[in-house]
Amino acid sequence: MIYLSQVLGRPILDLEGERVATLKDVIVRLGEGDHPPAAGFVARYRRRDFFLPRWRISDFGEHGVRLNSDILDLRPFMRREGEVLLARDVLDKQLIDVDGKRVVRVNDVQIIEAANEWHVTGADVSLTGLWRRLAPARFLRSDRPVEVIDWADVGYLATDAATVQLKSHRGKLARLHPVEIARLAEAFSYQQGAEIVESLDDETAAETLEEMAAERQAQILGDMDEERAADILEHMSPDEAADVLGDLPEEKAEDLLNLMEDDEQSEVAELLPYADDTAGGLMTTEFVTLPRDLTVGEALARLREMAETPNMIYYLYVVAGEDSWKLIGVIALRNLILADPSAPLEDVMRSDLQVAHPDDNAAEVAQKISEYNLLALPVVDEAGDILGIVTVDDAIEILLPKDWRQRLPKMFG
Amino acid sequence: MRHAGRRLLRAGAQGVRRTVARRPRLFIYFAILGPGMITANAGNDAGGIATYATTGADYGYRLLWTLIPITISLGIVQEMCARMGAVTGKGLADLIRERFGVRWTAFVMLALLIANGGVTVSEFVGIAAAMELFGVYRYFSVPIAAVAIWWLVVKGSYQRVERVFLAMSLVFLSYVVSAFLAHPPWGTVVREVLHPHFEFGSAYLFTCVAIIGTTISPYMQVFIQSSVVEKGVRVEKYALTRADVWVGTVFAIMIVFFIMISTAATLNVHGEHIESAAQAARALRPLAGPYAEVLFAVGLLGASMLAAGVLPLATAYSISEALGFEKGVSSNFREAPIFLGIFTFLIALGALIAMMPGLPLIRVLIITQVINGVLLPVILVAVLRLVNNRELMGSHVNGPLYNLAAWFTTFVVSALSVLLIAATLFPNLFAK
Repeated sequence: MIYLSQVLGRPILDLEGERVATLKDVIVRLGEGDHPPAAGFVARYRRRDFFLPRWRISDFGEHGVRLNSDILDLRPFMRREGEVLLARDVLDKQLIDVDGKRVVRVNDVQIIEAANEWHVTGADVSLTGLWRRLAPARFLRSDRPVEVIDWADVGYLATDAATVQLKSHRGKLARLHPVEIARLAEAFSYQQGAEIVESLDDETAAETLEEMAAERQAQILGDMDEERAADILEHMSPDEAADVLGDLPEEKAEDLLNLMEDDEQSEVAELLPYADDTAGGLMTTEFVTLPRDLTVGEALARLREMAETPNMIYYLYVVAGEDSWKLIGVIALRNLILADPSAPLEDVMRSDLQVAHPDDNAAEVAQKISEYNLLALPVVDEAGDILGIVTVDDAIEILLPKDWRQRLPKMFG
Repeated sequence: MRHAGRRLLRAGAQGVRRTVARRPRLFIYFAILGPGMITANAGNDAGGIATYATTGADYGYRLLWTLIPITISLGIVQEMCARMGAVTGKGLADLIRERFGVRWTAFVMLALLIANGGVTVSEFVGIAAAMELFGVYRYFSVPIAAVAIWWLVVKGSYQRVERVFLAMSLVFLSYVVSAFLAHPPWGTVVREVLHPHFEFGSAYLFTCVAIIGTTISPYMQVFIQSSVVEKGVRVEKYALTRADVWVGTVFAIMIVFFIMISTAATLNVHGEHIESAAQAARALRPLAGPYAEVLFAVGLLGASMLAAGVLPLATAYSISEALGFEKGVSSNFREAPIFLGIFTFLIALGALIAMMPGLPLIRVLIITQVINGVLLPVILVAVLRLVNNRELMGSHVNGPLYNLAAWFTTFVVSALSVLLIAATLFPNLFAK
């Protein structure tokens, strides 16, 4: 096993053992397995960098690099698509450790020889790795513990050469919960945070964005390719999507809205007119309504048949008729399941229910949800028609502002 | 049953355009207290007040000329860091590590640790001096303040009391009024501001470096860049931040200007020097009369408490960030030993030094600012190399004229530091 810091700057020797250049960097191609092999080396000779392909090397270790021929191609080195330079792109940079769910800084890179190939196996993030680069070799004790992140657990590498390496990490980040991805992405600069979101599939990207700060959501979506942004917006819940669009400049919001599929577009569009701090701004249009003349059994059957079930199905809202929106009662899913299947809905529903109006103050609505221990509160217009529901998670966000300590790390980053 | 929906859209799809337009626009609010304003004025803390007041008392109006070049230098330095924050979205410590590697990072962070350690000491000395004006022994006040600050920050309630301290420190605005009431010879003031002249003497040099060190402190560069990043300022909106930086800089130096004038007009004219906080408070007499000491003490206490909490925390964050240690006040000692260690060490160091018996408080305050000034070139060189890196900054690197001014600032500050070190090592260097 060798460390990158121990080989950088080492001599490159020709067949006779003469020094012909020094080692400047090690090239790997990401995506070639969990532990990609070195594809070549960057050598430096008289302030000129050139490429040494893997097959020109006979040996590589702490003493340096040994060539297997006397022919050198001195054309200047150019990075190719998909190549990552370990010293330039990995050393000292930050990466996401998917296993530990955290952002770490790379102090050194571990390389292990197997079957005559040199594989990148891990990133040393320990204090020992830092010492190895700071202190002369003779002050080092080799028995010190090192903390190495397995290269297979690297979910995102924060380097300038990011576009080439994202694909290979896509699957890994998706192993994390969107809340975790959002928290990790916020630890990076906004460009890198945007890259992380872009690398996710639409669904995960939408869920991750929902967990990020409002301004950041707008920034990321605003800078993204518009088609992609619209796809992600479609996967967000309508109230969150409406909030994001409201934070974007008018023209941009319009463009994105027009690119969305009709169904999602109309759901978001109807939420847009409401101000952020009102019940209307807080509510989502994803909820379930049932006409009053169904029986319990029919209602359950309909629920099962629904192609797309909204997140919030614990409360089922009973309306006056098949095409009506007039809210006359509510049934908790629990009561529906426990009730006699032949009983009409009207007999099991509660008709004395709490409601809010679209212009009600958001804080008061949240207060009401907490007071009555509700999971959601329906929002109705003057005619008594249901417009949407405010769910308890949005209420919690208002009642419990995010702990300021969570924001601190960025403040002094 | 259906997915509730399209109800409002009965009006038709053309309604979409209108609804988007009607929605209240996100108010691009730029609070009066932008990052530039806060950071530049953070320089007016215990060490700053002591330095400016002493300068006014010792040199009268003779050092007023330094304020114009310092305004330009401070503005340029802060603007470069704010720009880097907006363009890269990364903190200064972050960039230094990623661009310069481990050895340079260790060197810069060591400089930052020493400089910020010095400033932390000065804040606790400020607390001691302020409380002594209220008649409280520093052997009581300092340990209590240290424990309170540590506790408040670690328990996460510091932000709540922060505003109280901030409001208290606004007392220093009264220097502006006091300066006018002291009826300084305005003709002389204007002439001294516009007439640069340099004297070779170790005391003069010492004062110059202290003024620079306290006005353009290394922590301020780290600070402004972080707050620009935290605020999410983008390149497209950067013009506002640049304006904020320059307005903040000019405002901060205006306060310095009035502190120097009021001390010059009240103390220097009588040949008085400042050796204690009580003497420094006298500059506020034209305004507050017998209450000058109380007024001064309130301001000093507020400013010192504010910075005594924020600085150790910010230092611990920068170093942990750059060297990749676990960080966060909500972690415990086992999770983030180095982060909490640095934070605790700085507070303990500040408190212990401030409690040393027979410590000349005002003198110590100024020495800590000199340390800042001497270490400033290290940060400035790093900032300049980063801001001119095209790979990093693209088209937002410094312009040629701007660069010239920035390098000139770095050169002058470095030259002054070297001269001061030489003068300290060889006391006869400038002997007449």
